[in-house]
Amino acid sequence: MEIGKENSIIRAVNISYSYDSDVKALENISFNVLRGEVVTILGPNGAGKTTLLKCLLKILKPHGAIYIDGKEIQKISNKELARKIGYVPQRHHSIFAYRVIDFVLMGRAPHHTMFSLPSKSEYEKVVEILKILGISDLAHRTIAEVSGGQLQLILIARALIQEAKILLLDEPTAHLDIANELKVLSIVRSLVKKNIVEAAIMTLHDPIMAALFSDKIILLSNGVVLAYGKPEQVLATENLYKAYGIEFDVLRRNNNILVIPKKLPEI
Amino acid sequence: MGVKDVIESILSALVPSLISSPPEAIQRIILLYRLPRIIAAALIGMALAISGAALQAMLRNPLVSPHILGVTSGAALGAALAIAFLPAYIPIELIAMVFALLAFILVFIIAWGWGRGSIISLVLSGVIVNALFSAALSLAKFLTPDPHRLASITFWLMGDIGQAAKWADIYRMALIIIPCITIVVLLRWRLNILSLGDEEARTLGVNLTLERGFCATICALMTATAVSYAGIIGWVGLLVPHIVRLTVGSDNRYVIPYTLFLGGTYMVLADDLARCLVTEVIPIGILTTLMGAPLFIYLLRRAGRVWR
Repeated sequence: MEIGKENSIIRAVNISYSYDSDVKALENISFNVLRGEVVTILGPNGAGKTTLLKCLLKILKPHGAIYIDGKEIQKISNKELARKIGYVPQRHHSIFAYRVIDFVLMGRAPHHTMFSLPSKSEYEKVVEILKILGISDLAHRTIAEVSGGQLQLILIARALIQEAKILLLDEPTAHLDIANELKVLSIVRSLVKKNIVEAAIMTLHDPIMAALFSDKIILLSNGVVLAYGKPEQVLATENLYKAYGIEFDVLRRNNNILVIPKKLPEI
Repeated sequence: MGVKDVIESILSALVPSLISSPPEAIQRIILLYRLPRIIAAALIGMALAISGAALQAMLRNPLVSPHILGVTSGAALGAALAIAFLPAYIPIELIAMVFALLAFILVFIIAWGWGRGSIISLVLSGVIVNALFSAALSLAKFLTPDPHRLASITFWLMGDIGQAAKWADIYRMALIIIPCITIVVLLRWRLNILSLGDEEARTLGVNLTLERGFCATICALMTATAVSYAGIIGWVGLLVPHIVRLTVGSDNRYVIPYTLFLGGTYMVLADDLARCLVTEVIPIGILTTLMGAPLFIYLLRRAGRVWR
């Protein structure tokens, strides 16, 4: 049991992971996510963001320790973990054209055995969550028929119906236009602030969006943490240069941080 | 022989005291030939169709049929060996069943031993084992000394419900097929979750290695039983779930029960046609494929938008 961190919901202590023996994908990563926080794992392509996320989902087994809600992750069964963490994948490749309502309902799986069926009250919960996310009109369409932005909201709905405390999102806006990007990230933030989930962790590659929506940022590059803390601490010109190899101007306007490239890369 | 004779024959067999029985010849035809044949066809159709539906869902591949598990080519090899080299008193279906299960064990070892039961490893190991057993089947045919036995092998491979249409065989088939069907029906919502793919199913708390292995074993058991008794019957396991999905949508809570119903019906009808279309009995495996292939092309054309 982890001591003295009552407010901590995810705690990573010195985790390292390597796919091959020589190259480390993650090295000595430590951080602490508190209840009520939106934390972004930020970094360029190949920085180790997805690897870190997979460690938090127990898909990969790193060295070091991860505590979810005070309990060491390796001691948590898949089913129990699925009740603690709702995962939103980057995209879903649909093979079968399930109706949206049936698709979201599948998020109830961690509360069932192999042989049980979802109940009517669980169906009603789905209806309620679709309403909260503003996608009730999609309920009876199939997931093959919805747009990328809508699918992202549907995947979030499926994670919410899990009734997990933590939401984990892998590049939730990677395939979205700017309007949908802002909408999805605002929804994620409001879910935490309205206490519908206790914390959200997401990976993003865009520092501008990270600045707008995060309470804390973990800046990753080549598998190590370059900076970790509040957006105004992490998003400094020298940190961003180290991560992306590009010089950025970091501006402040109305409590928001804006990150703008100083000059475009020369090709 | 009319409907009245059929009903009276069955009723008088069930409750002899209540009803006067129809002429013995008619009763014998109905109770010893027609009825068992219908029940056997329905059982086999249900087993193949529901295995197909379950496997398509859990392997995320609508083009998969129960034959992917290797059991069909295993049964074929077993039957060929039994017909070619063993004395007639050893039941063909027994040897077919043994080889069918052997083939599945091989698929299981390859897929779960080295591939951790991932979708791709299961499909690939099925392909490998099928190829291996098909080659062995050709070799067995090549080495068969007696041309009459070679002809018997060929006929067996074409499929025939008649081989399984004895009450004793039906009891044995039902003993395996009915529990397996019941399990798949109970698993029907879980199949939705398994169809989401490895990563998503795992993050929804599924123990993939265990659940996919269990499900594949159940499907292999009932497919092995069906093909060991009736020979190779193609297309039912592929086609019927597709027709059902076009009608009731993709949710396996509905796909599975409807597939069960339609699979049984399709096979009974196909067997009726096989017996009545021409004076000779056409092997049912030929008929299900002849009916199935054009129907499948038509369905794929119509359904382009559903399976993207």
